[in-house]
Amino acid sequence: MRETPLSNCEREFIRKALGERKRLDGRQAYDYRTLKIAFGYDRGCCRVDLGQTRVLAQVSCEITSPKQQRPSDGVLFVNVELSPMASPVFEVGRMSDQGVEINRILERCLKESRCVDTESLCIIAGEKVWQIRVDVHVMNHDGNLIDCSSIAAITALAHFRRPDVTVDGTDVIVHTIEEKDPLPLSVHHMPICVSFSFYEQGKFLLVDPSDKEEKVMDGKMVIGMNKHREICSLQVTGQMLLLKDQVLRCSNIAVVKVTEITEWIQKALENDRQARSNGERFGFREAVVMDTVTTNQMNPEKLK
Amino acid sequence: MVDHAGHVYLPGELICNLKESEKTSKILVGPGLRQDEESIIVTKCGLLRFKEPNFYWIDSHLKRYVAVKGDPIIGIVAAKAGDVFRLDIGSSDLATLSYLAFEGATKRNRPDVKVGDIVYAKCMVANKDMEPELVCIDSNGRSGGLGVIGRDGGFMFQTSLNLIRKLLSSDCILLKTLGNGMHYECAIGMNGRVWVKAKSVSHTIALCNAISAAEYMSNEQIKAMCKKLTNALAGF
Amino acid sequence: MAGVNLLSDQGYRIDGRKPNELRRIQCKLGVFKQADGSAYIEQGNTKVLATVYGPHEIRGSRAKLLLDRVLVNCQYSMATFSTGERKRRPRGDRKSQEMTMHLKQTFDAAIMTNLYPRSQIDIFVEVLQSDGGNYCASVNAATLALIDAGIPMKDFVCACSASFVNDNPIADINYLEESSGGPELIVATLPKSDQIVFLEQNSRLHEDNLSKVIDLAVKSCKDVYTVLDQTVRDHVSELSNSHGWDH
Repeated sequence: MRETPLSNCEREFIRKALGERKRLDGRQAYDYRTLKIAFGYDRGCCRVDLGQTRVLAQVSCEITSPKQQRPSDGVLFVNVELSPMASPVFEVGRMSDQGVEINRILERCLKESRCVDTESLCIIAGEKVWQIRVDVHVMNHDGNLIDCSSIAAITALAHFRRPDVTVDGTDVIVHTIEEKDPLPLSVHHMPICVSFSFYEQGKFLLVDPSDKEEKVMDGKMVIGMNKHREICSLQVTGQMLLLKDQVLRCSNIAVVKVTEITEWIQKALENDRQARSNGERFGFREAVVMDTVTTNQMNPEKLK
Repeated sequence: MVDHAGHVYLPGELICNLKESEKTSKILVGPGLRQDEESIIVTKCGLLRFKEPNFYWIDSHLKRYVAVKGDPIIGIVAAKAGDVFRLDIGSSDLATLSYLAFEGATKRNRPDVKVGDIVYAKCMVANKDMEPELVCIDSNGRSGGLGVIGRDGGFMFQTSLNLIRKLLSSDCILLKTLGNGMHYECAIGMNGRVWVKAKSVSHTIALCNAISAAEYMSNEQIKAMCKKLTNALAGF
Repeated sequence: MAGVNLLSDQGYRIDGRKPNELRRIQCKLGVFKQADGSAYIEQGNTKVLATVYGPHEIRGSRAKLLLDRVLVNCQYSMATFSTGERKRRPRGDRKSQEMTMHLKQTFDAAIMTNLYPRSQIDIFVEVLQSDGGNYCASVNAATLALIDAGIPMKDFVCACSASFVNDNPIADINYLEESSGGPELIVATLPKSDQIVFLEQNSRLHEDNLSKVIDLAVKSCKDVYTVLDQTVRDHVSELSNSHGWDH
């Protein structure tokens, strides 16, 4: 579908506003939008809101045969769907360039950084292993899909519980939830992607760009980092020429942001765990706020 | 006779006992209502509104615009094709705007319009079978504020059509109250787009957010918000 | 792969190189007659061919036409015999699509795009043998091919990879070092101004070591540049001799 073109007036205004270090929604240059995490009834289902951007992640597992090169490792598969409900630009079917980019960044950030211990997913070496599949669906696109998807994916992985198995010779018995408690995945660390967008040929940068800011940017850098200050993935895209100290500056900022977000995720996971163990109601139904008008409602803006 | 105005109706409901005009004993039905033989059926969900002497319509929540003749519209130039500009107005089709429909334009003297410019125009031809056509002059050949806007700053944003109608109605005090506090100019398009320009960037941003936030506010809340705004901006 | 010692005690790598030593680079320009520009590069055991067509009229969808710049169209393809196991899909899978996009972005930044509005430049890269550093060799080959085609660029684009093993940064990693799971940093720069055009990093690397590894990678790009520069000068002087131009 055709997207409404960005007019010259909007483009110049956003650039001018950024020149005066002002953003359209009143944030500072390094501020994230409000982050909300909600869990579903099933284990491994998680919804993340970053401002108006909304992403849903679901983790599922099944037993398959392992890859030939790694007979004793489980398989982790990440898939990001840019659903047409998120934006009129996305189309069903063949994945667009943007879809490939998000998929590859998430794959690199999650798989190649070994955040989930794949050796513990092995049941019978060479024959049966667990395949963990993370499906991320983008529901509303208002900028910065990468960060939102990475937060959703890693939170869902931490939330997920897989069924317990016992191996009896060559027989594999998969226990249901009633027989034995399901086990969590062993998540070594939580890599989170932080996106920076650059303007004025790299002189000015923003964290967590919104949709309009993304359209005006010169280039983008995505840093995937965990709270131990290890960089899990780094990628610079866009037609921009950077200097080394800009890269280092961004990685310093990313450290701060990742620590904040990881704390937030841990808190949300903890709340959900308590709700489940206390027998309180949990799930998406509780996350939907009643008695308020939900479309077109803006929170009162701070004017700075 | 039951006064229906101001009640919420859902699609499919029948309305009867509407007030007829004394002179012609006819009832005019507007958007959201349809005549089906002898009865009037509601087709959209919303509030029923009434205007003297005999005009009824449904006020519903809309985001997408359908071109209507005579509406002032803000369009973005998407392409130039031969003798016409093609503008995006947020409707189902691109609208056309001829080169000659500007003030002082002749075949030799073409208007200076580039792809990506914003144009404030009036809709001349709009029916469901054709592309809408826009013009930037009125019947006397004067522009009257129509034409390319936004060359020298300002910001354009998109809202729902309800907010536009609310802003333009006589009992909404938002624009006047904002004008008491600061100097600004604005252009409101019936397709949901509003262009605002104030003294500085921060004023403009504050203005945009204020207008968008006023959608569900009552008049008192609007007054309170404007006061807060002008106090905060007085420091700039 | 546990047990493989990437860096021996004396400081030598598996293939006998020192940590900051590059693999042997051999390259040749103008290998094809049909293409406007072409080049072949061998970096160690990685062999890559690149061809350039353009600037020419936009083919395919006119919707992609850019009114003020040239459209850079890249295609990255790996031959089915290029890897140890036969590769099923030479192009179109996710990794190749990603490589294509990265190449396109890199050269969008380096070519003087505003000189040829409403036209298209095609860059086709074919990997004949893959032994690590695919992206780097592709970028180097494509740079040479663009120079051969005479398309104006801001500077050479040179790419090199680097990694970090046993507290030592190492340059230009091959397939064995790549797959052992250590961090891998790929950098493409404009050598004269040291500006980074493309930067990508996989696997875990601690933030404190980032600066050292980037430094080594950028320096290695300069080394690659000297080799490419020499090749281009030799090629041009050969051509001018045969044409009888005065120096």
